[in-house]
Amino acid sequence: MKDIKLERIQKMLQDESYISDSAIAMSVFLSMQLEKPLLIEGPAGVGKTEIAKVMAQALDTNLIRLQCYEGLDSTHALYEWNYQHQLLHLKIQEQKEKDVSKLESSIFSDKFLLKRPILQAITQDKSPVLLIDEIDRADEEFESFLLEVLSDWQVTIPEIGTIETTHKPYIILTGNRTRELSEAIRRRCLYLWIDYPDFEKELAIIKMKVPDIDKKLGEQICGFMKELRELKLEKTPGVSETIDWARALASMNMKHLDKQLIEDTLGVILKDWQDIRNTQNSLSELLDKTGVVSRII
Amino acid sequence: MEPKYISYQTEFSANIVLLCRFLRSKGFLLTASDEITAIDALQHIPFNKERFLKQALQTTLSKNHFEYLNFEDHYTEFWSQLSKAVDSKIKDKEDKQNRASDAQKQQARFDALKSWLNLTPTEDEKVIASYSDLEVLTKKDFIDLSQEEMELMMRLLKKMTRKLSRKKSRLKKSSNKHRTLDLKKTIRQNLRQGGDIQHLVYSEPKEQKLKLVLLCDVSRSMDLYSRFFIHLIYAFQHAYDKIETFVFSTALHQVTSLLNNHEFDKAFAMISDRVPQWSGGTTIGSCLNDFITDFEYGLLDKKTTVLILSDGWDTGEASVIRQSMKSIYKKSKKVIWLNPLAGNPNFSPDALGMKSALPYIDLLASAHNLDSLKAVLKQL
Repeated sequence: MKDIKLERIQKMLQDESYISDSAIAMSVFLSMQLEKPLLIEGPAGVGKTEIAKVMAQALDTNLIRLQCYEGLDSTHALYEWNYQHQLLHLKIQEQKEKDVSKLESSIFSDKFLLKRPILQAITQDKSPVLLIDEIDRADEEFESFLLEVLSDWQVTIPEIGTIETTHKPYIILTGNRTRELSEAIRRRCLYLWIDYPDFEKELAIIKMKVPDIDKKLGEQICGFMKELRELKLEKTPGVSETIDWARALASMNMKHLDKQLIEDTLGVILKDWQDIRNTQNSLSELLDKTGVVSRII
Repeated sequence: MEPKYISYQTEFSANIVLLCRFLRSKGFLLTASDEITAIDALQHIPFNKERFLKQALQTTLSKNHFEYLNFEDHYTEFWSQLSKAVDSKIKDKEDKQNRASDAQKQQARFDALKSWLNLTPTEDEKVIASYSDLEVLTKKDFIDLSQEEMELMMRLLKKMTRKLSRKKSRLKKSSNKHRTLDLKKTIRQNLRQGGDIQHLVYSEPKEQKLKLVLLCDVSRSMDLYSRFFIHLIYAFQHAYDKIETFVFSTALHQVTSLLNNHEFDKAFAMISDRVPQWSGGTTIGSCLNDFITDFEYGLLDKKTTVLILSDGWDTGEASVIRQSMKSIYKKSKKVIWLNPLAGNPNFSPDALGMKSALPYIDLLASAHNLDSLKAVLKQL
């Protein structure tokens, strides 16, 4: 995908209902143009993973996702032989007495190869989007393995040979900064930091995701979230929590916030008991700042 | 591919190279290939808006959160410095009547820029020189450190923990590679299918994970040391996975996620901000008691080492601290108490809090200088 325009990326993100700012569009654009992986970091729930999904949809291509976790190794990321299947195959062939070398080549064929995400990504007919999610959760060992793949774009399987890619995938790496990534992997990537959105952006996101929400309620929710993030919480709620909350309140046909309602639904946005306790204590103050007037009961 | 880049050698790309040098002086780790990427990126972007240029450079040249957020400031500073430098160069040229060759001009411009920015190339030399003081430094009490030595110490700590964490990753690697077949389990599992071996069951040595709970005293009496300890913890937390960190003076605060998610300086500022009693008095007993009631259930077990950093000066009841220490001691693998005062040869644990906690401590160590700290780390 050479020579696409920056405006097109912006429009593409917009069309797939992803509200972005120009910095995000620029990073996505350059990573596609320069064929370099894009490393996205930021707090939880600001739409890092969403970028990859939207890209795949907009480019009308596959999204291949590799979720990283501690202990992830190359058999889960690259390929594995389907041992059980191979065994059964051999058993069936036993009756026919075929010659050995033929048999051997047949069991190490594509049919018995379990393709894991990275191998899948480099054997597609059209450049897919490869999302390597939460790379910081994988071990350092996996990180260096990834470096090798990212630089050569080929995978060697001893029984078959080297598989080279014909269509380089677009790569998005995301991280939550649970562990510092190595300089080596940072050096190979473009970098993008996504922070919590400002009031206008968050409102636009809510309107896009929850179209039937009351206008006033939407504004109040965003105002409240903005103030809430100013509090020193253990786990600051992200945009996805805002959307959940907006959906919940909209489905109850609420028109505006009030203290009781917030107290009852606080569990949708806060996931830590200390946070909930602290927020409940300072709720009145928060509501004052947001400008929400409590109904007098 | 090489000639491709030569064609870009315009005034503008030279400026980009200068920008990269400038950023390097600000601590960015940029290689030649990053410069190439940046220049390469510029031919793709539309030039009708200046912010496009900034954004493109921001995404290509910054490599982490910190750099990303500071990029804008550096960027603006650079262009203003550059325009000044260019002005001074033009004056120069009028005097010399165009005698300088292109290369010389470029050098002059860079020199001008360098002096404007106070770029001192001796930075490396400084680092080398100070590393030779290492031996002395490891024996020096934290209190006696000068500002410069303090920074060096921070670097040392970082290095030390990185070493420790590397040790751990090596362990893992070997265990992954030596996948050995677990015959017993393989046969048992395959009996179900009539004895044909279909599933292979591997086993690997079970990894021994270090589980740590850190309780750090940040009251006034510990003021000189706590900054160090927080730094140590910070380095620690980025090396190991299973660490929970609390700070206390008159109340207990969990700071694990704070340290995990922020650069050190910011995390430190946020901690002192969030702990209003920072450098106030201490009630060790009640804080430990809070820890037991609120967190013990999830955090303490027989695999967990508890590290308490405090001088033991307590303004609360002695019986409370004794009770709390007892239950922590019972529920954990090991309790290590780091007392910076213990480095003094005349030290005896007669602070009341220290005295009452003493029976429930496996190891009382000093940790007042780097050597003693190293000794403790070996015990983990």
